[in-house]
Amino acid sequence: MAVREVAALDVGVDTSAVTPVRRQRRLGGLFVASVIWIALVGLGAIFAGLLPIPSPTEMDMLGKRALPSAEHWLGNDVLGRDVFSRLIYGGRISLTVGLLAPVIGVTVGGALGMLAGYFRGRFETIVTGGVDVLLAFPPLVFALAVTAYLGQSILNITLVIGILGIPAFTRVARAVTLSLSEREFVTAARALGATHSRILLRELLPNVALPLVAFFLLGVAVTIVVEGALSFLGLGVPPPAPSWGSMIGEGRESLDIAPWLAFLPAIFMFLTVLAFNVIGDTLRALTDPRPGAL
Amino acid sequence: MAKFIGRRLLYLLPVLLAVTLLTFLIASLLPGDLAITLLGDQATPEKVEALRAQMGLDLPIWQRYLLWLWDVLHGDLGRSFRTGETVLAAVADRLPVSLELMVMAEVTALLIAIPLAILCAVKSGSATDRFLTGLAFGKLSLPPFMVAILLIYLFAVSLNLLPATGWIPFAEDPIANLRSFVLPALTLAIAEWPVLMRVLRSDMIATLQEDYIAMAKAKGLRPARILLVHALKPSSLTLVTVTGINIGRLIGGALIVEVIFALPGIGRLLVGAIYARDFIILQGAVLFVAVGFVMVNFVVDMLYAVLDPRIRHGRA
Amino acid sequence: MKTMFRAIALAASAAVLAGAPALAQKKGGTLTVGLELDIPGFDPLKVGVYDTSQNIAAALLLETLVKLDENGKAAPGLAASWSHSDDFKTWTFKLRPDVKFHDGTPFNAAAVKWNFDRQKDPKNNCRCAFYIAGTLAVEAPDDLTVVYKLKDPAVNFPVLLSRPDQNSTIHSPSAIQAKGDDYNRNLVGTGPFVLKSWTAGDRMVVERNPTYWDKDKISLDRVVLRPLPDSQSRFASLKSGETDLLWADEFEADNIERARKDPALQVLTYAGSGAAVSLFNTKVEPFDDVRVRQALVMALDRKKMSMAITNGLSRPASNPYGDGSWVKCKDDGALPEDPKKAAALIKEYGKPVKFKMLFTATPRGRANGQVLQQLWKNVGAEMEIEQVDQATIPARAFQRKFDVTPWRIVDFPDPDVQMFANFYSKSPLNLASFTNADLDKALEAARMTADEAKRTEAYCEASRLINQNATWFFTFQNTYYAMAKAKVKGVPKLYGGVIDVSHAWLE
Repeated sequence: MAVREVAALDVGVDTSAVTPVRRQRRLGGLFVASVIWIALVGLGAIFAGLLPIPSPTEMDMLGKRALPSAEHWLGNDVLGRDVFSRLIYGGRISLTVGLLAPVIGVTVGGALGMLAGYFRGRFETIVTGGVDVLLAFPPLVFALAVTAYLGQSILNITLVIGILGIPAFTRVARAVTLSLSEREFVTAARALGATHSRILLRELLPNVALPLVAFFLLGVAVTIVVEGALSFLGLGVPPPAPSWGSMIGEGRESLDIAPWLAFLPAIFMFLTVLAFNVIGDTLRALTDPRPGAL
Repeated sequence: MAKFIGRRLLYLLPVLLAVTLLTFLIASLLPGDLAITLLGDQATPEKVEALRAQMGLDLPIWQRYLLWLWDVLHGDLGRSFRTGETVLAAVADRLPVSLELMVMAEVTALLIAIPLAILCAVKSGSATDRFLTGLAFGKLSLPPFMVAILLIYLFAVSLNLLPATGWIPFAEDPIANLRSFVLPALTLAIAEWPVLMRVLRSDMIATLQEDYIAMAKAKGLRPARILLVHALKPSSLTLVTVTGINIGRLIGGALIVEVIFALPGIGRLLVGAIYARDFIILQGAVLFVAVGFVMVNFVVDMLYAVLDPRIRHGRA
Repeated sequence: MKTMFRAIALAASAAVLAGAPALAQKKGGTLTVGLELDIPGFDPLKVGVYDTSQNIAAALLLETLVKLDENGKAAPGLAASWSHSDDFKTWTFKLRPDVKFHDGTPFNAAAVKWNFDRQKDPKNNCRCAFYIAGTLAVEAPDDLTVVYKLKDPAVNFPVLLSRPDQNSTIHSPSAIQAKGDDYNRNLVGTGPFVLKSWTAGDRMVVERNPTYWDKDKISLDRVVLRPLPDSQSRFASLKSGETDLLWADEFEADNIERARKDPALQVLTYAGSGAAVSLFNTKVEPFDDVRVRQALVMALDRKKMSMAITNGLSRPASNPYGDGSWVKCKDDGALPEDPKKAAALIKEYGKPVKFKMLFTATPRGRANGQVLQQLWKNVGAEMEIEQVDQATIPARAFQRKFDVTPWRIVDFPDPDVQMFANFYSKSPLNLASFTNADLDKALEAARMTADEAKRTEAYCEASRLINQNATWFFTFQNTYYAMAKAKVKGVPKLYGGVIDVSHAWLE
């Protein structure tokens, strides 16, 4: 699952090297809509406690699967909890894990990739070999094993998804660095006797950063999906904290009685992931390091 | 060519070795003492000590790794302490299911992706192209477990057309077997096709700008012939790679789909082993999947090199 | 030695077991049964303890010395009759002659003794050994006589051998010796069905045993057992006809209600004895204080819990016996449901009440956990849900590594075994680590007499002591369910949740 999303991202990046420019600048409306959606979910997540909505964990044990009412705008879930409130608070988990986990990937993977792409040689061989080894493992199995054995907590989930993202970021950083190292400004700096660390930090980093940020946003999308998958399987964030994935999983139990219990969180998750993908993809197109892409 | 293969093989060996090491480390470092698990409430300290010694768990970790590697190289991946099944038998039992699922999913995905990609490439920039690329892009945000639920709701709950679960062996009833694969394969195919389509579409657009296509057009060849004979084959290099990678991935990666649709494949074997803390099966099955992935990638690399001579000498 | 060959009087028992006259039975056909869990195997040394899925399969392939009749009394199985010593510590069983294992080797006293000794042997480290700790030895004085020597008196011992579990089922010694590690998934018993094929994770196929000693009572040609872990998928398979009968429990309340309304389906249910329970580790804070324990018990609104989790199907419990038991108490000492008093007690305790409770990492574990969490939050206690897999709960409980853990008092024909194990001060299974001389006295009294009225009084006294000290609390009584096509007939009562389809037939 996660695998394929990550693989898809990899492929997207790898093939961009052979793909002629085709990105149209017509994503404008979609881009704005995405930003607005994420802002809404983000604000909801941050200020959930101040909103005039019921508690996401308070149960009305006699009101399971209640239909929408003035009090419960989207009705109740299978344990009698307010669905709307759980959707808002669920965004908190998705965004927290989604934004934090790729930070691990982008820092560790970014550093490894840059060093590999800059120094080449044996170090590069080891790094690319290591990436190949890591990519050989089914990530969801790894994530499941870690949460099953080490316990379910936001920290564990963030760490494990973050570590699983390192190979993808390493690949991107290396590819970008490789293409940049041959450019004039780097050769010029080298000719002027700049140290390695100066070239890496002053010349390369600012240029590698932008594509990495674009990829980071795609990583956020993937992370939200992976967290959702773990929660769907019951090995995500521990209950009673609402997570979109666990809401889908719980809603699945009453798919024929109250299908909206599964579909509402699915729509929220889909829109959020889509929004991050749109923003990430737009940025990637804008920051493509290939000559002529800009 | 021989030199290229030799170079790749030389790279393959350390990667495989690292895969075994990492597999072993993951399985060994997860908390939970095998001896305590085995003994259950009989786990008095003396008994645990004795059993650990008997199983060689008291040896230093590098020694245990070498012993395990030795066994693995001799084809002995161990036995589940829970079921007494050998890892090889457990994997062999479930592999056909995962393979059938993978093949059906991949074929379906290609059947969707190739015609759509050609359509988009030919009408590049048109409304159809924009719609389809947009759809493919949107689909990337819809994870398979949502697709699975949607399909179950549509075809199993609402329309009652297809079984949501229940794998039937092919030998017992081929039709029922295929029916039981429709929804899971479709779920995976729906996840696959956007990637395949995007890849083929952009390669195809590039190919269509080549001079020889213009030549073929000038010669008055039929457009269908140009597309399918002259353009498709040279454009499908990346497609082959991506399909190959997906095949490697799906051996152990169709986990959620196998769980949701109750297919007795490798993915469910892995989940079951995690829940039951069956370290031996977990370790063996993960090793199998990881090595399988590396090998499939190796074969894809080779294939790629055969198809495109530039790779052999270029930047591979 | 006073003998009591009462079993002989109950000769034609198998037909009674099937719960219907033999005349109406139609022969032949295949019955497909949907189970929840995949079966890992049957060798007690390997699997330790059988779960319900294994029990259901074992009821087809293996047999026990004693069976239960439709009143829950002991009836002959592989043993034709039995007798006991005056002190109820020695039980002698006469075995049925001319019974053969599926591999052709004879079933005899030596085989029974061999099975027992193998489990008891400390060298084998069998997790199953715990459950036969009360039996000192099994002797085989002649080919058809087995003598059980018990540590403590057991007035109702034969019924304790009736469950098709890891300890009571008799396997073929020669097959175990011949097959070694492979025996686990290639079992050989004496049962009415023979294992034909088994695809892990998919299905187990058993076929009628042509040489079964009581083969006239068996109608089905074949039974297929399939693990279908997801309850929605399982129910869908019953409706579509892929399966004929399903294991179910009250967490599937929606499906059970639907099956009841569907004329093509039937719901089999059995209100067993025992209960779903939880227990406090009284050796850790805050549960070393009786006020905290009492407060948490008083906070429970079992009716609401039942509504929230199982649409009201679950039957509230306030003692370890339940409606299915012969122990009926006028006063079981249950604490009243009183959230206000509970909150006051927590306040009186003074310190914050924060703890973790174990739950299975399953949808029902999560639902249970969240509901308890809510009820306890209402009275000012903070519980954190710790989800672990099914096998971890007993392990953690035995090592006393828990604050609160769920448990189950299984539907057993006699309460003695479980009551003594769970509540006697010196029992190794006294998981709450609670010692009380009066409780010990009541439990001892209950096992020293065969008089049901006196035993009932002793057990009710035990219940009052447990409830007042609030070391354990009882949430819901054991109710067992199976859903089936209407045409499936002849399934006996679901004793202990075991769906025994060996004598079923298709109409």
